[in-house]
Amino acid sequence: MILNGVEIRESFAEAFPMAGTRLIITADTPRWARTAAASMTGFATSVIGCGCEAAIERELAPSETPDGRPGVSVLIFAMSLKDLKKVVPLRVGQCVLTSPTSACYAGLEGGPAIPLGRALRYFADGHQMAKKIGDQRIWRVPVMEGEFVCDEISGSVTSAVGGGNFLILARSRAAALAAAEAAVDAMGQVEGAVMPFPGGVVRSGSKVGSKYAGLIASTNDAYCPTLRGVVPSALPPEVGSVMEIVIDGLGEKEVADSMRAGIAAVCELGADAGVVAIDAGNYGGNLGPFHFKLRELMTSAGGTASSGDLA
Amino acid sequence: MTGYRLKLTAPLEARLDFSGVTPAALAGLGLDGVARKEVLLGTRRVLLGDLFEVSEAASEALVVSGDPRLDFVAADLADGEILVEGPVGVLAGARMSGGRLVVRGDAGESLAAGLTGGRIEVSGAAGARLGCALPGERLGMRGGMVSVAGDVGAGLGERLRGGLVLVGGNAGAGAANDLIAGTIAVAGRLGPDAGRGMRRGTLILAQTPEPPAPGFVDTGSHDLVALLLLARRVPALADLFGGGLSGRAQRLAGNRLVGGEGEILLLQ
Repeated sequence: MILNGVEIRESFAEAFPMAGTRLIITADTPRWARTAAASMTGFATSVIGCGCEAAIERELAPSETPDGRPGVSVLIFAMSLKDLKKVVPLRVGQCVLTSPTSACYAGLEGGPAIPLGRALRYFADGHQMAKKIGDQRIWRVPVMEGEFVCDEISGSVTSAVGGGNFLILARSRAAALAAAEAAVDAMGQVEGAVMPFPGGVVRSGSKVGSKYAGLIASTNDAYCPTLRGVVPSALPPEVGSVMEIVIDGLGEKEVADSMRAGIAAVCELGADAGVVAIDAGNYGGNLGPFHFKLRELMTSAGGTASSGDLA
Repeated sequence: MTGYRLKLTAPLEARLDFSGVTPAALAGLGLDGVARKEVLLGTRRVLLGDLFEVSEAASEALVVSGDPRLDFVAADLADGEILVEGPVGVLAGARMSGGRLVVRGDAGESLAAGLTGGRIEVSGAAGARLGCALPGERLGMRGGMVSVAGDVGAGLGERLRGGLVLVGGNAGAGAANDLIAGTIAVAGRLGPDAGRGMRRGTLILAQTPEPPAPGFVDTGSHDLVALLLLARRVPALADLFGGGLSGRAQRLAGNRLVGGEGEILLLQ
């Protein structure tokens, strides 16, 4: 399959089930909402080393937030519900509670409860105040700056999907970066999915295992342009740089929509902009239950990945 | 399902215990079945049909003529809607756990006593001890929402444990006494001696109240995000104060005489 001179390789992204939730972080100004959200989603690129994956989903206008202040929605994912229940209060406690003027609210309803104020209220040392409106309880925690307000819990989903991805094979580093930026911009419009790596882009995709004992992942040498000829390469001679985009979503559809939007944006730049091919990372299909086949994805507008290929 | 309309044929001569007359209890009875339902008038057992003209209502709600002697309206209501055209007597909405009671008139004493859920809307005034505990019980209203457009009597929210009370008019003396938790908002003026023995919970006021009970300390004026949040999550609260809250309020904490950490928020 060739779109605007860009080859869509016969490959698929192999993705995994995750537990995930959405949080709404607000502050007096957009700057401080962004700051709290950036801090909370920092060092959260991959569960391998960070324990969770998280990123900013989008910025929210005051009219869209629970308290009418500027806000940011973030998505956070972990390999299990247990992990999610551990990392969310830790991150909110260290990065949002501490951030000036912030407040933190549930961005999902229903599903297993992820503790927010339920865990953080104890910081108030007995001066915490609860208020229950309908089924929702909020906590007010007196802090030096004033009060930190947050919902008691957030809802969550255990049907989230992590590890959707595609690779951009380009003639040069500049071309790969420009294409990756275009993809990330387009994918930012898709709700319910985020790209947890720096700026949404991974320059160092990995393969499973290593020659060194104890290292569970190492550089994806088949896609390293400087190793062409040294190892069995997946790169044609004209490819000078490869960048990857990894996607986590609240569901399979969100990941598929995000991948489709990103690949379409790259193909729109096309071969003229130095893009050679789109590929995807997988482990042979035996590890992850979700298979996002690139060609199906780009053929079926509105379709989702061919799941059900449960290995 | 269609509801029923119960129209009083004459003003009540004695107090009528209306507990047990709910949309769920009347469902499927038919006009004759409803007319044959027994109720207590004073100490006498009478049939609804002896007092009311029973007809089918266009809506699913149970529509009833009001009377100041019509007691226990919507007591134990769990779902469905009761609409009273006129006043109700004492203990309307007692122990109610869900559904909706609308009173187009005044309500008597002990409205919403022991309420745990649902909504009560009163277009007129309400008597003393709104949201109090039922006789023999320790806790007052524990959940749900009550809104009274007019004035309320003394002892508002006595031993309130949860839920939201909105008062459009003035409130009598001794509000929030022994209040344990929950939120009371008063758009008019709050009478004297509020908050005696108050443990937690919030009194939100738009006007400077009469002096509260001893034991409140002024913590100063603050910009409270919690008020902004409440105003958006509870539009009725924002409406009570003219459509929005600035978030700025003077905060009196108390009642410190009992070690309480409740608050009176005076909106600014």
